Amino acid sequence: MSTQLRVDWPECKARGLCHEVLPDLVELDPWGYPIVRGPVTDDLLADAREAVRTCPRAALRLVEGR
Amino acid sequence: MTTTCPPSPVPFPDRVDVQPGPALLAGIEHGPSLAAHRRQYGEPPAVSSEELHEALRRIALRGRGGAGFPFATKLEAVLQQGSRPVLVVNMSEGEPASSKDTAIALTRPHLVLDGVVTTARSLRAREVHLVLPGERPAAAAAMRTALEERSDGVRIRTHVAAPRFVSGQAKAVVELLSGRPNLPVTSWQPEAVSGHKGRPTLLSNAETWARVGLLVLRGVSSFCSLGTREEPGTTLLTLSAPGHDPVVREAEYGARLRAHLLPALAGRPALVGGFHGSWTTWETLASARTSVPGMRALGAPLGAGVVLSAPHGTCPVTLTGEIVAFLAGQSAGRCGPCLNGLPALARAVSSVVDGTDGPARVEQLAALVERRGACAHPDGTVRLVRSMLATFPEEVGLHARSGCSEHRRLHVVPDRPDAPAVRRAS
Repeated sequence: MSTQLRVDWPECKARGLCHEVLPDLVELDPWGYPIVRGPVTDDLLADAREAVRTCPRAALRLVEGR
Repeated sequence: MTTTCPPSPVPFPDRVDVQPGPALLAGIEHGPSLAAHRRQYGEPPAVSSEELHEALRRIALRGRGGAGFPFATKLEAVLQQGSRPVLVVNMSEGEPASSKDTAIALTRPHLVLDGVVTTARSLRAREVHLVLPGERPAAAAAMRTALEERSDGVRIRTHVAAPRFVSGQAKAVVELLSGRPNLPVTSWQPEAVSGHKGRPTLLSNAETWARVGLLVLRGVSSFCSLGTREEPGTTLLTLSAPGHDPVVREAEYGARLRAHLLPALAGRPALVGGFHGSWTTWETLASARTSVPGMRALGAPLGAGVVLSAPHGTCPVTLTGEIVAFLAGQSAGRCGPCLNGLPALARAVSSVVDGTDGPARVEQLAALVERRGACAHPDGTVRLVRSMLATFPEEVGLHARSGCSEHRRLHVVPDRPDAPAVRRAS
């Protein structure tokens, strides 16, 4: 079990703020949608929370899982 | 921008050939009426939720919508919530190559209804929903007729699924029940924990409910008299091919799959599991046994039981291109990677088919859309495309040299559009 950043895909509209807040974890695909690279490590947790809070579509969540 | 959705290379059928079987499809020659059903099975007995759970556990019933999830485990999750559950029969069958739920509606509607009504009584559920297919009017009419014949004291509300491939996805069905568009949304919890209106929701495919009906009417030992110890009972298969009417047959678990395949399509590769399934060579099909874990181990999961063959004269690579184009048009259009990625993937597969590009771009796009959506649509499409590349490397290579084995064949042997051989299946 680890902390994962999950995208609510139908809500996400490729605004890209998550990539700006979390460049080490979130890349953008050719259409501007996030590609989450792996689980949220402890050192990224604060930034991940910030990404969840600032997503203009409220389309990110931190969940415990695989 | 105007886009037209490409048609399915296998249309929704006007006619389904349902053949009698050893359990679920036994006695279908007596017709679908309630009177015939009661003569064959009698009235379902009252069962407690504990008895029902134990019986389901003993027959190891798996959901028949495609995922094969153990039904007893789903029921446990519902019971653990402690509040009155909602029951849902999902008969959407949005996959054109599948017709087994249609076959049940046309021949065995009261097994489905006995299954869900008995479960509703044992779980003291007050809300039961039946989701009818949007693209199969005969099946929907057959279920409405069956409902009118009954007076169970359990009210069953009917809904009609939107005509779209992804409408039958569980979260999309819950959306439909709530009066919202019949499209997938992100699942944060299983429906069994939090489904319709946040209530525990026991949602399963129509064949699953028909199996529950058979179980309560006939008992565990009768159910387990067919199949294997690990996988008791039978499963329905839809045998499809472009240009052929589908045939629905009931196969015993553990039996050779080959015994059920249509003789006219012997020697031909097939897409096992339907449009979201896996291409499988004839050699693998011929050696396979009808088994959920067994077929998974062969890399050809049975899914909802579709075996879609590429008949003589049909190139599986070209057919895959047509299916991917159809699937791209069936995206709900809500998830960015699916909305953008599937049309791009369809174009890349089309370039492989016409030999203007190799498979590298296909693999790149497959990796880009995989696991990035609210439902299984992108993942299923990726499975199909990857299985084509893995199963037909020589044919893909031939296309890269502007060839196609079947086009060459067509010039030698003219195609027979009437394809009479399918009718000979017994």
